[in-house]
Amino acid sequence: MLLRSLKLHIIQCGFAPVVLQVSRTCSNMPLSDTHQSPDNAVSGKQVKSERKLVVPSNSRFIYPEFLPDPKMEWRNSLREKLERLDMIQRRKHIDIPEFYVGSILAVTSSNQHAPNKATRFVGICIQRLGCGLRANITLRNVIKHVGTEIKYQLYDPTIQKIEVLRLEKRLDDELLYLRDAPNEYSTFDENMEAEYLPEGTPVPVNTTLVKLKPRPWRARWERKNMKGLADLELEERFYKRAEELATPWEKYDLMKQYRRTIPEEEQKEIFAEVCSELHEVEVMRKKLKRKKVFVKPTRSS
Amino acid sequence: MSKIIKCTILDLSTLLRVTYTGITVNQIRSAHNVRPPRIKYPLWHLQRERAKDDQQLTEDNRAFVKEAVHDKFGMPAVIHGISTYEVRSPLKEDSVERKNVEWHPKLKRTGLIARKLGNYPMWSDNGKSMLATLFQVIDNHVIKYIPPGEFDPPRKPYSCPKHKKELGCLLVGAESADPQYYTKQYCGLFYREGMMPKKILGRFLISPEAALQPGTPLLASHFRPGDFIDIRGKTIDRGFQGVMKRHGFHGLPATHGVTKSHRRGGNIGHGGEKGRVFPGTKMPGHMGNRYRIHKGAEILRINHKYNVIWVKGVASPGETNSIVYLHDTILPLRKHKITPPFPTSKEVEDDQLIDSYKEHMYKFTDPTITFEEEK
Repeated sequence: MLLRSLKLHIIQCGFAPVVLQVSRTCSNMPLSDTHQSPDNAVSGKQVKSERKLVVPSNSRFIYPEFLPDPKMEWRNSLREKLERLDMIQRRKHIDIPEFYVGSILAVTSSNQHAPNKATRFVGICIQRLGCGLRANITLRNVIKHVGTEIKYQLYDPTIQKIEVLRLEKRLDDELLYLRDAPNEYSTFDENMEAEYLPEGTPVPVNTTLVKLKPRPWRARWERKNMKGLADLELEERFYKRAEELATPWEKYDLMKQYRRTIPEEEQKEIFAEVCSELHEVEVMRKKLKRKKVFVKPTRSS
Repeated sequence: MSKIIKCTILDLSTLLRVTYTGITVNQIRSAHNVRPPRIKYPLWHLQRERAKDDQQLTEDNRAFVKEAVHDKFGMPAVIHGISTYEVRSPLKEDSVERKNVEWHPKLKRTGLIARKLGNYPMWSDNGKSMLATLFQVIDNHVIKYIPPGEFDPPRKPYSCPKHKKELGCLLVGAESADPQYYTKQYCGLFYREGMMPKKILGRFLISPEAALQPGTPLLASHFRPGDFIDIRGKTIDRGFQGVMKRHGFHGLPATHGVTKSHRRGGNIGHGGEKGRVFPGTKMPGHMGNRYRIHKGAEILRINHKYNVIWVKGVASPGETNSIVYLHDTILPLRKHKITPPFPTSKEVEDDQLIDSYKEHMYKFTDPTITFEEEK
């Protein structure tokens, strides 16, 4: 019985290694309602009261850092709550958009030593780690033929702006193998323009296969079971050893999965707590965005 | 012949008895090698937990007992984010007289009992990040004050015998609990002062001027952002550990012919005249699970709603959710420079004041940090 219930948990809440079918429709459903009736205050209020109960089902993909570290020894409900409050306070001043590993981002941060006291870095997000206020991302780009990576704390108050230039996913959860790939795989134009996706379209998955440079590498990629890698062209013994060391039974280890994730009930609780405030922040952002779009024609004159 | 002998023996015994009763020697039987116990435990070290027994009460009776408890001590309430009971506070009442003593640096205030919540980053207003550890002051109340003359500490310091004669003892309890689950004698400690039993009972040595009435709540505002505190707690129990983990030795080389001793300590002593291992040599053994004090930690922020204190650094002892004791620091250069709340802070009912930060800290309600160009 316990096992069965656990299995249900995992199917519903476990972080699948690659989630292809996350559509943006669900998250934007409540938002699109507000677009249709922004003036009608009465109906808007009704919708709002209803919406408080509805938590978008894909919140855990859009706001993964709101889920606490599942390690039991480090958990404390009050600390997690205070952390969430601080995160929302910070989100009122900076727009942290929806993005995934593989998306191309531009981060502008204050820098005392830069000429304009700010630096902008464009790159592909190769790693997303941490929960709560420690959430961080690693951006990678090749600048003047030198591979460059910058790790940004998402809630660092010196970050001025986070833009998503191209919203997409890759086949893997971590793209650290780009360090061993030729430069063209992680070269992005610094003056790249943002590509907008129409409302309600699912997040596209970029299925390019990366061809690595010959060994030596920073890790034994043949053992990591990466989906976004082209044929590694290794000798037979490497694959043999990888097969020996593989642990394919781990995906059936329900307790391991359970300990590694936050149960669905708890996730719902957490998002129900922050949902209304996050939603307000998002609506504000949308309004600002529309204003920006409206301002745009003046630039041409 | 035998009869005669018998008689004489009997007579002898009677004779002897007579003589003994005449002298009346009271025997005191004692083993000379039994000494009185060295440690005299303090009065409040009592059996705490009661043996669990099912009282076989009906639902109604159970409810009645609960009601009786609430009538006697106070209704359950959530105060500062902790589910506890409403306790009368003598600081709120005007009838309690408080001594008006001016604070001076030689006076010793009480400390607080807190729970470690974990850590997360904070930023200063120039964008520098630092990790902070969170401590929640958990429903602290003064239970009893024992003046210096009456207080007889179990372990007296050899170095300065005068030291503790000048200090009184303040019993502080944390986290109220239902008296049904504790022994009568333990509950009696609190009942004399009109309090509910507490899960945690701590002791602070204070100067008599800083004495507090039983029932006084102790809050996080006892300290202020920018103050330095000492944090005493029990370190994480790591069990029997080798020399590399326990003392940070480097171990022996991984290669070059080294076998089976990559993590060993190497040589531990001398030969020749000394011919022994010196006491205190760093060797493998049990690590952790002992009281340690993190001295001079700085307070960065205080949340008055949940009584949470943010302290700079992650060096404070103990696991997450463990109990620690917070004191004013004893480091001479980090002691209070301005008068602190003396003997403790009053409860202020102000909904606006939730967070107070140390100066030059980034508040999460502040806008993004930007630097201005120098001209």
